[in-house]
Amino acid sequence: MSMLSFAGVTKKFDRGRPAALNEVSFEVEKGSICGLLGHNGAGKSTALGVILGMVHPDAGRVSIGGSDVLTEREKAIRKVGAIFETPVFYEYLSGWKNLKILSSYSGGVSRDLLEETVAWVGLEDRIHDRVGKYSHGMRQRLALAQALLPRPEVLILDEPTDGLDPEGIVEFRGQLLELREQLGLTVLLSSHLLGEVEQVCDEVVILQHGVKVYEGKVRGIEDGKVAYAIESDNPEVTDEACLKLGGTAIGCGYSFSAELNPSQLLAGLVKEGAAISHFAAHQDSLEALYLRFSGSADDESPGEEVGR
Amino acid sequence: MKLFFSQLGWELYRLFARRRTYIGFGIFLAVEILFYFLWTGEKAEDGMEVFIQRVAGGFDEYFSALTLAFLIVAFTMLLLGVVFVSLIAGDILAKETEDGNLRLILVRPISRFRLLVIKFLSCQIYTTILFLFVGVTALGVGIIERGWGGGMLVWTPELPRVSLFEWDEGLWRYFGAIIGFSLIYLPVTGIAFMLGCFRMKPAAATIVTVAVCVADRVLSSIPLPAFDPYREYFITSRMDAWLLLLYQEIPWPLFWEQAAWLLGIGLTGFLVGWLVFERRDVKS
Repeated sequence: MSMLSFAGVTKKFDRGRPAALNEVSFEVEKGSICGLLGHNGAGKSTALGVILGMVHPDAGRVSIGGSDVLTEREKAIRKVGAIFETPVFYEYLSGWKNLKILSSYSGGVSRDLLEETVAWVGLEDRIHDRVGKYSHGMRQRLALAQALLPRPEVLILDEPTDGLDPEGIVEFRGQLLELREQLGLTVLLSSHLLGEVEQVCDEVVILQHGVKVYEGKVRGIEDGKVAYAIESDNPEVTDEACLKLGGTAIGCGYSFSAELNPSQLLAGLVKEGAAISHFAAHQDSLEALYLRFSGSADDESPGEEVGR
Repeated sequence: MKLFFSQLGWELYRLFARRRTYIGFGIFLAVEILFYFLWTGEKAEDGMEVFIQRVAGGFDEYFSALTLAFLIVAFTMLLLGVVFVSLIAGDILAKETEDGNLRLILVRPISRFRLLVIKFLSCQIYTTILFLFVGVTALGVGIIERGWGGGMLVWTPELPRVSLFEWDEGLWRYFGAIIGFSLIYLPVTGIAFMLGCFRMKPAAATIVTVAVCVADRVLSSIPLPAFDPYREYFITSRMDAWLLLLYQEIPWPLFWEQAAWLLGIGLTGFLVGWLVFERRDVKS
């Protein structure tokens, strides 16, 4: 079931300049973690802004849990918590007061929930200190706390680990997965860190110059399928053989049902007349996928061969 | 409604928790003390004595704590009023947009209209508290200098004649005028707030508002008959309405007419600001 639907959204900020988003559509399933990737200026922040009702689209519809962000913004946003790159708080107030102020705009929360959330993000010892004295990691924890306070169903994260040290990134990743497991949250994560996205996301959407160029599994292969890099002396015959055996063309070669034994598959291809010179199970890394779809890859995309 | 007042309360808490909020209070106090010394200096006091003897008689009676406080407040407001009100109203939204605080609020289930109402009311309450502070401290200074009691004498070029009050009446007129001050500054709040809703630096919103008010005052003060038909359209000439509360007999219809104009200008500023802000894209 789709928790977040982004349908045909177009946004142009200035006349004479290309659209920041051009008829972009994607969906995020309930309980899944979806990565939003793209180079600087690809339209990621604009897309997040439209989802959060902070940017008005020229065309298209966005809904969260069935509520339209444009026509029922308050109802839709009630289900959302958000973290931005370098979250800004009132420096002269304590973390606790910041949370109280922000949660008052969500309708207020009980002291118990506030304390529980603060404890969950591990800030209970410093929550009454001024935010001005917080490290970047502590601010990020506070940002997570404020995002969780409305008890959201959807988390929107814009570069949440930006500026964190490696330990902080690992910790944040763990928290994210824990949140999904404990609360069943749906997460949309915009990040430049492909490794991070690869480790936590189920699906990715890649934007390039405001256009969606890929939406699908993180490694570019559907569940229950295996990709193979195949080279032959007669490519046309091989292509036909692959299709005949149920293969689907993907960037690095073909994907086949995981139930199909590799030796059976190879034998089948040879039987169909393919002069195979190279045959290996191929796992496309997110980096390879990203570079291929964002148009930055060389012809030889750096996939990882996992068996010969 | 309870939630609205809770949000308003937190907004005021946030404003008053800032250290720089008190810098404003400190500056007002410093200027008040400066005017206190100017008005109690030997030459100024001699001049006042001559003037009071001529118009009211009884210098000791009428150069009271209230008269001194009125002089301090009037000159302090003339010097700082527009600047500080513009600073507060121009800053409250534009600064949060610039710093990025607003993003974390705008992702909450609150309409932009409601958010702006909270911010605007906060400005108005803050302004009233600041002006009351000025009034109370000026009166405190006056009482220390001249003691409790006596009459109150009010005169400015805008008044038709000198107003003379007994202590008790003078006291409520004085605080009535202070509250009136926060009302007459509503157009300044409205203009600065409206500019803060545009994609504009907070300092620019303040500077433009002050420039508009200064230009308005200069133009409205030009003593040419050609300007007479247009004089009612100047904001600053209507802002003298607070003095109506210090007339011997308050011309209430005129006061309410001026107050309605000022309220209208202030609310128009708010509405234009809201329309602009409602359409504005705030990128994350």
